[in-house]
Amino acid sequence: MEKHNNNAKAFISFDKVSKSFGATKALINCSVSFEVGKIHALVGENGAGKSTLGKLILGVHKHDSGSIKIDGKESFLSSPRESVKQGLVGISQELSLLPDRSVVDNIAIGRETTIGPFVSNKQTLEKVEAVMEKYDLYIEPSRVVGSLSVADQQKVEILRALNTNARLIVFDEPTARLASHEADQLHNLVHSLAKSGTAVVYISHFLEEVLKISDTITLLRNGEKVRTEPTSKETKKSLIEGMTGRDAGNLFPKKPKINEKSEVLLKVKSLSRANEFKDVSFEIKKGEILGIAGLVGSGRSELAHAIYGNRMPDSGSIELNGKEFITKNVAHSIKNGMAMVPESRRDQGLILERSLLENTSLPYLEQFTSWIYGLNKNDEYSEVDDSCKTTMIKHGGLEKEVQYLSGGNQQKVLFARAAMNKPKLLIADEPTRGVDIGAKQVIYELISQLSKVGEAVLLISSEVEEIIGMAHRTLVMSRGKVVAELKGNQITKSAIMEAAFEQD
Amino acid sequence: MNNALEYSKKHGIAIITILLFIVLALTTDGFFTERNLRNILDQQSTILIAASFMTIVIISGNFDISVSSIFVVSPLFALYVENATGNIFLAVIAGILIGLAMGAFNAIVVTYFKVNSFIATLATSFMFFGLGYLISDRSLMRPMGDAYQQIARTKFFDITSATWLAIGVVIIASIILTRTRFGRNVFATGGNQEAARLAGVSVSRVQAATFILLGGASALAGIVSSSRSISAQPSDDFSFVFAVLTAVIVGGTSIAGGKGAIWRTVAAAFFLAFMSNGFNLNQIDPLWQRIILGLVIVIAVAIDSWSQRKNA
Ligand SMILES: Nc1ncnc2c1ncn2[C@@H]1O[C@H](COP(=O)(O)OP(=O)(O)OP(=O)(O)O)[C@@H](O)[C@H]1O
Ligand SMILES: [Mg+2]
Repeated sequence: MEKHNNNAKAFISFDKVSKSFGATKALINCSVSFEVGKIHALVGENGAGKSTLGKLILGVHKHDSGSIKIDGKESFLSSPRESVKQGLVGISQELSLLPDRSVVDNIAIGRETTIGPFVSNKQTLEKVEAVMEKYDLYIEPSRVVGSLSVADQQKVEILRALNTNARLIVFDEPTARLASHEADQLHNLVHSLAKSGTAVVYISHFLEEVLKISDTITLLRNGEKVRTEPTSKETKKSLIEGMTGRDAGNLFPKKPKINEKSEVLLKVKSLSRANEFKDVSFEIKKGEILGIAGLVGSGRSELAHAIYGNRMPDSGSIELNGKEFITKNVAHSIKNGMAMVPESRRDQGLILERSLLENTSLPYLEQFTSWIYGLNKNDEYSEVDDSCKTTMIKHGGLEKEVQYLSGGNQQKVLFARAAMNKPKLLIADEPTRGVDIGAKQVIYELISQLSKVGEAVLLISSEVEEIIGMAHRTLVMSRGKVVAELKGNQITKSAIMEAAFEQD
Repeated sequence: MNNALEYSKKHGIAIITILLFIVLALTTDGFFTERNLRNILDQQSTILIAASFMTIVIISGNFDISVSSIFVVSPLFALYVENATGNIFLAVIAGILIGLAMGAFNAIVVTYFKVNSFIATLATSFMFFGLGYLISDRSLMRPMGDAYQQIARTKFFDITSATWLAIGVVIIASIILTRTRFGRNVFATGGNQEAARLAGVSVSRVQAATFILLGGASALAGIVSSSRSISAQPSDDFSFVFAVLTAVIVGGTSIAGGKGAIWRTVAAAFFLAFMSNGFNLNQIDPLWQRIILGLVIVIAVAIDSWSQRKNA
């Protein structure tokens, strides 16, 4: 045990805790302690065991060996209910709300104030409003959760945690789905939580963020703790080296040059769809990476879905390879060389209960099918295997269900899928959400490889650095309209933010 | 050791069924005889035919209550054609075609008008039952010739054609589900509709096809059953679909969609058949049969769902 574990403020401490899933060792002999009023960050590559550590605290999983002490007493966190009782709650990597119920229902779930056997709506509401007031975090209690923005939904989750008198809150990649100004708000909130004495466990792949807000950082690698240090002793470089075990290097590959004479692959002319986007026109050349920046909700994803054939535009036209392209359905677009990495891997990307193999090959089964023999699994297997290797997915077998992969590896599956078809146009919507630095590098490298061989990429991203580092040219969208187009070294953070926030 | 445990976890319902078989074979006179086993096979054939394709419908994320009504109506139509033409070949084709047509009607209501499949097929059931009264003029129908009864009763290698048909349907359904692109699309659709759509799967076409196939299978089951009893009668009897659903669900196919297998349904159908056969041979009071059957189903499903659970 380390010295500062004996500190009176240590709230929960792990001693040589291990956890395996079948043959996968997710956490090995991990000793770490979390203190009251401190923000303790966990960093590490995809699959390093960060979420697993969080889930042990939350009682989602049981540890195999070692001990967990709360307030110095050995504790068995055998169920989420038990953990909640102890004041340990989590804001999960993927939100877990009831979308059809109201804000107040979601916050008070399981803790409604009752009079005898009956729920008192009035008192429940008053209690929820008191919590909102205390933390200066207001969301209209009667709104239906499904109609809120992601950032507000997350606030609902946080309020739910606060409503249970949480003593420790685990944030698992809370900013992965937020725009940068929303992330700033969250940081303020986390700070005020810590100040009021809550222990915070903060899991994130954004190293700047971690360095900015945490007090302590624990580095994990392949299930083992590398070190725990005060944040002041770490730098971005030291963290990357500690996580990956190798030199930091450059995150973004060199931008490949586009041939000025290269042909236009996709031309979009005044495309509109009611309440989503209006009068959008642009073109992409072969080999070009076109960024689309903007705030969450500015119509970027909706535009992508219209090009991809998942929703029909109301008006406007699309040209592909110089010919008019009438969108019919997704299968038709895929046949014409499009591929998409959708925004939400859980809701739109993966069939979680099916295997890695089936998830990767799903759009392209036709090429492995013959009428007489049905699916040729050997061919399928070897192609999927190749694709998973190029995308460097860490997995325990192609037959394993994708739900058991870590978040970042799940994201790579979508790339493995897209890469299988050698697409002419790749639409990548927030492609590196929840992905570690190493995997980011791989994904950026993949995107740049695609553009080198003459394929066009439409890169939608809320991470300004990503747009700056990758795109040859970028559009900025705001409220459904393209408000700016930036080229080469015009693409700067301030130019993008200015355009995105512009009011018309 | 570890492997054996994994294996038994994955195949919970099959192992339970085999254990029950062994227990009955050892304890109950008259169970482990060729005649008895052949009978069980013959009796289960109609349920197996419909349940195989019901499994596919449920995996794709839907439900179909109208199986009973198709089971009732199709043989009436087949006999109607048989009575009119005397041609049994035409009769069977007609019976199956009307089953496919009813399946297609369900498919349109569910995938085009987006009505919840449970409600939709409950409603169409009444329409189809009504159609049955119309076709038969509200009376019992019998085949004109002797050929009709041979559909289910012809024996090859001492096994009835009904059984052979069931074996064939089970194999075809399994191949469709596990070895074809359509089967993959069924799992994808039931597992995550939105993700399937974005991967280029035509979700409504897949779901429509599952209903049409089930319509055809239910019709075949109805024809086999009427051939066995050499008659068909209009009714509003929902019991067949419950027997079919029980087999699918006891087998462990998830009603939430996205998960399941035909072999599970087959194992469960036999589990249920062995149970009731065992009761009869042991002359257990039908009153107790119900209670014990219900209890055993709960236990079997609990064991199976425990064994299918994610790594504990
Ligand atoms: N329920 C589970 N069943 C099987 N394996 C699991 C399960 N949960 C996690 N794993 C495995 O344990 C390892 C650690 O996963 P974990 O989710 O903790 O990683 P992580 O550090 O949170 O990664 P990411 O940054 O990608 O979210 C991975 O190899 C993962 O595949
Ligand atoms: Mg994680």
